[in-house]
Amino acid sequence: MIRFLNSVWYNFKEYIILTVLVILSLFIISQNHSPAVQRVRAISFGTFATVTSVVSDVVNIKSLKKENEQLRETNAKLMLQLSKLREAAIINEELKGLVTLKDTSGYPLIPASVVSKSLSRVQGTITLNVGNSDSVKVGMPVLTDKGLVGIIYSVSGNYSIARTLQNVDLKITVKDERTRENGLMKWNGENLVIINVPKTYQIKKGDRIVTSELSSLVPFPIPVGVAAGSNNVETGIFNEIKVIPFVDFSKVENVFVLKTVASKEIDSLELNFLKKFQ
Amino acid sequence: MKFNYIISILIFIPVLIIQTTVVPLVSIGEVVPDLILILLVYYSITEGQIYGTVLGFIYGLFFDLVTGSLLGSTMIAKTVAGFVAGYFSSENKVDIYLMFFNFGLIVFLAALVDQIIYSFFSAFDISSNILMIFFQNAFLPAFYTALLSMIIIIFVPKKRIL
Repeated sequence: MIRFLNSVWYNFKEYIILTVLVILSLFIISQNHSPAVQRVRAISFGTFATVTSVVSDVVNIKSLKKENEQLRETNAKLMLQLSKLREAAIINEELKGLVTLKDTSGYPLIPASVVSKSLSRVQGTITLNVGNSDSVKVGMPVLTDKGLVGIIYSVSGNYSIARTLQNVDLKITVKDERTRENGLMKWNGENLVIINVPKTYQIKKGDRIVTSELSSLVPFPIPVGVAAGSNNVETGIFNEIKVIPFVDFSKVENVFVLKTVASKEIDSLELNFLKKFQ
Repeated sequence: MKFNYIISILIFIPVLIIQTTVVPLVSIGEVVPDLILILLVYYSITEGQIYGTVLGFIYGLFFDLVTGSLLGSTMIAKTVAGFVAGYFSSENKVDIYLMFFNFGLIVFLAALVDQIIYSFFSAFDISSNILMIFFQNAFLPAFYTALLSMIIIIFVPKKRIL
């Protein structure tokens, strides 16, 4: 028996090792959501990000000058826009006072730099140099001055990983800014698409797509991209709308994390509502 | 043997740092070359199939842990890629396989296997066009990786230093 096992091992050891490692990998895939795995992952990417942040700083020095000029230009434009908005805000405050509405603006932004990127066609993630110590939490939106970049997925002490919009596992509720129609947007490996859009919807090429208030993650409309026409699905009653994002994920270097706190009151309300119908 | 593993893991760390910080700067569209795979193929050819398979598993584990991708997806892809590249491991033919064009072809084959498996675990969608997924997610990155590997192998001395 031992001799037989020895001969099997001797003749097929490469295949045996491959099989064992593949089974082990499959087991680990199935354990992805366990808290222990999440903890190990947070520690390991936190440690790795400490090193990559140094390298990333060195790599980014060249591009900083160009970015600085762009930022100054953006600043000037924003200043002009701000003065307009201030005017509007004063009127808004007066009107709010008249109808006694609550103010929901003024979310704090946490500035962050991208220290490393893992870009594949299906799973885009970026590592940011802010973490628990900066009050970053899982689920917070990541954005630039151009629009939404992604959502925080995992957090360690000083670093965090965000899934970009080009990640097949990230789905976000969005709406057409013009028609106010809502839909679910995802990355299909090739394009950003709003899926299951009824053919009766009036979304047109060039419409601005923003995040929807229906999303529990993003509290107010953040620009996402422009609609680039529909993939007419012949069968059924739904269309797919292709969206071209405002942000170039491969070039993004400096971002902001929107420090939003999910409303427990809204969550519990929605939960009670769901329980009622179960 | 154990010492060899330590060396290859030590070399892997700076390659991983370059892969996540510098390589995205040379991406074409969303097509990114895979330096880790090139290193893995090199070790699979020079050290053998079992070495390549185990090393693929270790490289994949570290990569998944630090990048936030689905834990296990890169691991399984790199394990099989290491195994495939290991078929080209032969003491008498190492120099031939490490030649410019041959090395590029082996990297292309291993990268193709790696990307197909990775796509299957991270983006498989029954409604997607499988041929399109194969072309965009596997063929293009594999081709880019193979091209880069041919450039890199020119600068690797014939006598093993890695």
